[in-house]
Amino acid sequence: MRVAYYSPQPPERSGIADYSALLLPALEERIDVEVVRRGARRFRRRTDISLYHVGNDPEAHGWIVEALRRRPGLVVLHDFVLHHLVAGMTLGRGDGGGYLDAMQREAGPVGRMLAHGVIDELLPPLWEDRAVDYPLTGEVLGSATGLIVHSAYVERLARDAGYRRPIWRIPHPAWVPPTEITPAELPTGRIVIGCYGHLNPAKRLPQLLEAFADVRRRLPEALLLLVGSLSPGLDLDPVYDRLGLTNGEDLVHVEYVDEARLWAFLAACDICINLRHPTMGETSGIVIRALSLGRPLVVSDVGWFSELPTEAALKVPVDGQEVQTIGEALELLGRDPDLRAKMGEAGRTSARRDNDVGRVADLYVTALEEAAGGDAVREAVVGEVARAAEEVGLQANGPALAEVAERLREVGSGR
Amino acid sequence: MRIAVCAPQVPFVRGGAEIVSERLVDELRKRDHAAELVTVPFKWYPGERVLTQAFLWRLVDLEEADGAPIDLVVATKFPSYVVRHSNKVVWLLHQFRQAYELDRTELGQFDESPEDRALRRAVHRLDKLALGEARKLFATSGNVAERLRRTTGLEAEVLAHPPQELPYRCDEYGDFILSVGRIDRAKRVGLLIDALGADTSLRCVVAGEGPERGRLEQLARERGLDGRAKFAGRVSEQELADLYARCLAVYYAPVDEDFGMVPYEAFLAKKPVVTTTDAGGPLEVVGDRETGLVCEPTATAVAEACAWLRDHPDETRKWGQAGQRAAERLTWDAAIDRLLE
Repeated sequence: MRVAYYSPQPPERSGIADYSALLLPALEERIDVEVVRRGARRFRRRTDISLYHVGNDPEAHGWIVEALRRRPGLVVLHDFVLHHLVAGMTLGRGDGGGYLDAMQREAGPVGRMLAHGVIDELLPPLWEDRAVDYPLTGEVLGSATGLIVHSAYVERLARDAGYRRPIWRIPHPAWVPPTEITPAELPTGRIVIGCYGHLNPAKRLPQLLEAFADVRRRLPEALLLLVGSLSPGLDLDPVYDRLGLTNGEDLVHVEYVDEARLWAFLAACDICINLRHPTMGETSGIVIRALSLGRPLVVSDVGWFSELPTEAALKVPVDGQEVQTIGEALELLGRDPDLRAKMGEAGRTSARRDNDVGRVADLYVTALEEAAGGDAVREAVVGEVARAAEEVGLQANGPALAEVAERLREVGSGR
Repeated sequence: MRIAVCAPQVPFVRGGAEIVSERLVDELRKRDHAAELVTVPFKWYPGERVLTQAFLWRLVDLEEADGAPIDLVVATKFPSYVVRHSNKVVWLLHQFRQAYELDRTELGQFDESPEDRALRRAVHRLDKLALGEARKLFATSGNVAERLRRTTGLEAEVLAHPPQELPYRCDEYGDFILSVGRIDRAKRVGLLIDALGADTSLRCVVAGEGPERGRLEQLARERGLDGRAKFAGRVSEQELADLYARCLAVYYAPVDEDFGMVPYEAFLAKKPVVTTTDAGGPLEVVGDRETGLVCEPTATAVAEACAWLRDHPDETRKWGQAGQRAAERLTWDAAIDRLLE
């Protein structure tokens, strides 16, 4: 079987490009893969199924959704909320009508009116703070003959959105940490709390900084390490001033780092914190790397993050006590090296067991094989049973056939 | 208890699994249970037939019979365990091996088309669902249990089944190697024929029937074995006991077999077993240089192993007796206690 594979690829700076770079070699060991390049119109060879990696970034995924429109196939839904993607593919290209249609499809006349409000600049862009209310996943779901998701959370959202075709839940694959990691240049004798990735409002930085400032008073050796670029418009200096935090002393902020230095900074931390709200249904490559490295985690109790192994991650509800709970979690781990070691080991074990790239590739092959031929098999089975029923005069809507249909569904062969 | 033992039936074919199922019913009855063998014919080709025929089991209602409840269902082999029952125990003798380790081998069934690949996956899903429903899951060997764990994630306790009841005895360590079982490609009787071609001093008797018999008889002629390989066909229980009693040793080297009763039968006649390093389940039974010889799966190695046993009668006798002690520990009392616990 041959698969047409659509994904952003390195050197694009995208988590999904990194994901594909990790997955593809393992997949190619198991199955014939034709990697489709951006702009390609025709395949070099005939393929049996197309696999589309879809995320929320219009620049990275717009061309993939266009290909999906032309040829429906199996979609890897890396984010459930695709508002930003759809806005980029419509408004971003001067296609206001497309955005109106997408919003109407999502929320009826009210959705269309809201979209008009956005286009006429009477309302702030919905993708900035109301994307979760209007995920705009409908078109992608409509073209997907099956879905691959990374969490029960996204599976549930897809089902709630009325998606009835097959869904395969496949864990995010884990990177194997480099055998040699050059130590990061950080002050010694500190308990390093690391926060990594693009620093945007959804990472709960104000809450983290407030909690950290409080912890720092009781645990002076704590050091906050921020690794990643700041989201435009997010100015942390006033927050530092208000909380009495000194950059370079209480915390260290490093802008974009390459993969080698990212591992170095991850290895340098004692606690990895990755907060998120709202969630678009995404996973986190940073969290997966931290698990592989055996670093204890503090995460928000939302979406995919809620499904991380409890033995490896302390989960913070997003509620009125969020800041206090973050502080308690950091202090608990900061004061207890044994607990950090135990949670780190649990994380490493779970990454080896659940996120092994070979295992993940096997699960992809299963999903691809089931998706490519599954309908034909179901039709053949149902057809043969239906013919037998017809031959002995069973009525199509009668109770006897209803039981047969129920049993077929039970064993996964029903419609 | 009223117990239904479920096993598929391939018309005109009878092998180890059928013997085990029938014997289980007999043994349950001996222990004052009302036991009945429930069978449905099974044909696994072409195409989706493997699923539609398996599906027949899903429509069988064994919750009660003639107004009285059936307390327990013991299912044995694919696809009988697809049956629904509130108290289902599976004693797994075989999955549908063409969908697993035999896939993409010459013994496989599914080609590379998307439909066949999906069909194979559908068998996996069916197994996971049907076996996952069982209140208790036993596998007939570590090989079967490990394959099940690897392919479905389901854990099974290993519960070996005792061999069939025959008037076992040992009259002599004669001049022929005995092969017992269905003659198909998976049982690899051809390797023994090739071994006789490699060593002109060896003789064998092949007991059993199967689709490969004609080809192997032709092969024996081509190898010029001149009657040194005798094809006895399907033999009676008495004839089989006689063959076990008179042979030098028993050859049993299928490809990654699930279990196979033949080694234990050989042991009960105090005969050592020649098997190969890739035989699967038999390797859990045959200890190399303890109860037989384990050699590479080549004609030369099999020939050397058979000749070695002939030339070393003390070891042959000693290993056969050691095998007998191991086989006698495998009892129906123990097996049924665990099935019903």
